[in-house]
Amino acid sequence: MKIKSIIKTSSIVLLVLFSFIQTANAQKGRKKADKQTVAWRYELEAVATGVQGTYQIKVWSYSKNVETATEQAKKNAVHGIIFKGFPNKGRVQGQKPLARNANLYEENEDFFKEFFKTGGGDYMKFVTLANNGQIAAGDRIKISKKEYKIGVVVSVNIAELRKYLETKGIIKGLSDGF
Amino acid sequence: MKKTIILLVTIMVIVTSAFSQAKKPTIMVVPSDVWCNENGYMMEFDNQGTTVKIPNYKKAFQENPDLLQVISTINGLMAERGFPLKNMESAIKTLEANSAEDAMMSSKESGIGASESPIDKLKAVAKADIIMQLTWTINTTGPKKSVTFNLQGLDSYTDKQVATATGTGEPSFTAELPVLLKEAVLSHIDNFNASLMTHFEDLFANGREVIIRIKKWDDWDEDLETEYGDDDTELSEIIEDWMADNTVNGRFNTTDATENMMLFEQVRIPLYYEKNGKQRAMDTRRFAKQLSKFLKNEPYLIVNKVTTKGLGRATIYLGGK
Repeated sequence: MKIKSIIKTSSIVLLVLFSFIQTANAQKGRKKADKQTVAWRYELEAVATGVQGTYQIKVWSYSKNVETATEQAKKNAVHGIIFKGFPNKGRVQGQKPLARNANLYEENEDFFKEFFKTGGGDYMKFVTLANNGQIAAGDRIKISKKEYKIGVVVSVNIAELRKYLETKGIIKGLSDGF
Repeated sequence: MKKTIILLVTIMVIVTSAFSQAKKPTIMVVPSDVWCNENGYMMEFDNQGTTVKIPNYKKAFQENPDLLQVISTINGLMAERGFPLKNMESAIKTLEANSAEDAMMSSKESGIGASESPIDKLKAVAKADIIMQLTWTINTTGPKKSVTFNLQGLDSYTDKQVATATGTGEPSFTAELPVLLKEAVLSHIDNFNASLMTHFEDLFANGREVIIRIKKWDDWDEDLETEYGDDDTELSEIIEDWMADNTVNGRFNTTDATENMMLFEQVRIPLYYEKNGKQRAMDTRRFAKQLSKFLKNEPYLIVNKVTTKGLGRATIYLGGK
């Protein structure tokens, strides 16, 4: 009876410990991915021009696991649209970045930290996963023992994103000053 | 008391900022000559023995629904960005209505019509500060169709190209032409606006670029080499000094100068001037008028006439009105 109780208690403790480690690992992974976003470690590729003001782009992120890469792809896409732009791909037209000032992030660091906050940042309003976040076989490339380069297709509403940043006074509108 | 002062200061700030806004440039989409020619919207007329072809915009607007669709999409997208465009079709109609009205108008007392010189007639065309010149061609490879799209932003002040977006869309078996055209506009307009924004930023930083010409009437006894003042400074030098003092950062280029004419290009005029303690938006005519007044006053006393051509060119004729 006593042994049974010990086994039961230890399995609960192990289960709690295991889930705690898992959560800690996931958070660590997310933090690492966040750092990589700020360090521009991702690539954008044009896929298609969607409905008015919307673009489909493929985001290549680097991560140990697919879930983190998928989540990070949304953030990277918005980050890239604001700061990097993306080149032409075949006959799909590339776009220049919304930021016209190379120091925009540094000048509005507090705003962007809040905007890109994991789990609740406003960036989520402007991006959705295309194809339910399914990743094509060729878009999962193992680049080292511990790391994958994962291509996720997302859809970004650039028109609304621009309006939002203009309203917040982060970027200038076309008619500002007139 | 404190509240009243704060309220007054706030009102003053609002009033000052309202008066210190630069003139918003007008933009109009115009089909290019190439597009008009390819689609058969040209008029031919005999100009002293030479056949001259000019675009027939009215016919194009009346007969081509694709043109209307493209212009309407561009207008809509620009309005969304806070920059509603001047509609060329409406501008043409307004000009025609004005012309008909002027022809019928007569004074109640004398029955005489409104005066209109040949120059006035020549100038009655649809104008905008920036022309968005539109060209598209349809490429066909077997059953596939694609659209090559070219949008050029031309500054009417200087005839310079200030913005551009061009490219060929994805070939398609099935998509209809209006769909391909809409896709072309959607994928190019943001890049066009980005280059337009660069132009506006330059405008705010360095002033508006215009062209100023100085000419003299044939019957004027003086010329641009006439000397004035104690140090015998030539009139052309006096005008150059005025330009250096009144342009933004003294930026202008004396392209040509003889005893009869001067040509100033890349003249950067400020966006505002002050009158009665208030800031007002400056334009080429106002800038040329300031030089005109300077020459008309003591010690030069040169009677002169200012004319403008388009939006960014002004000519001052010295020696009479």
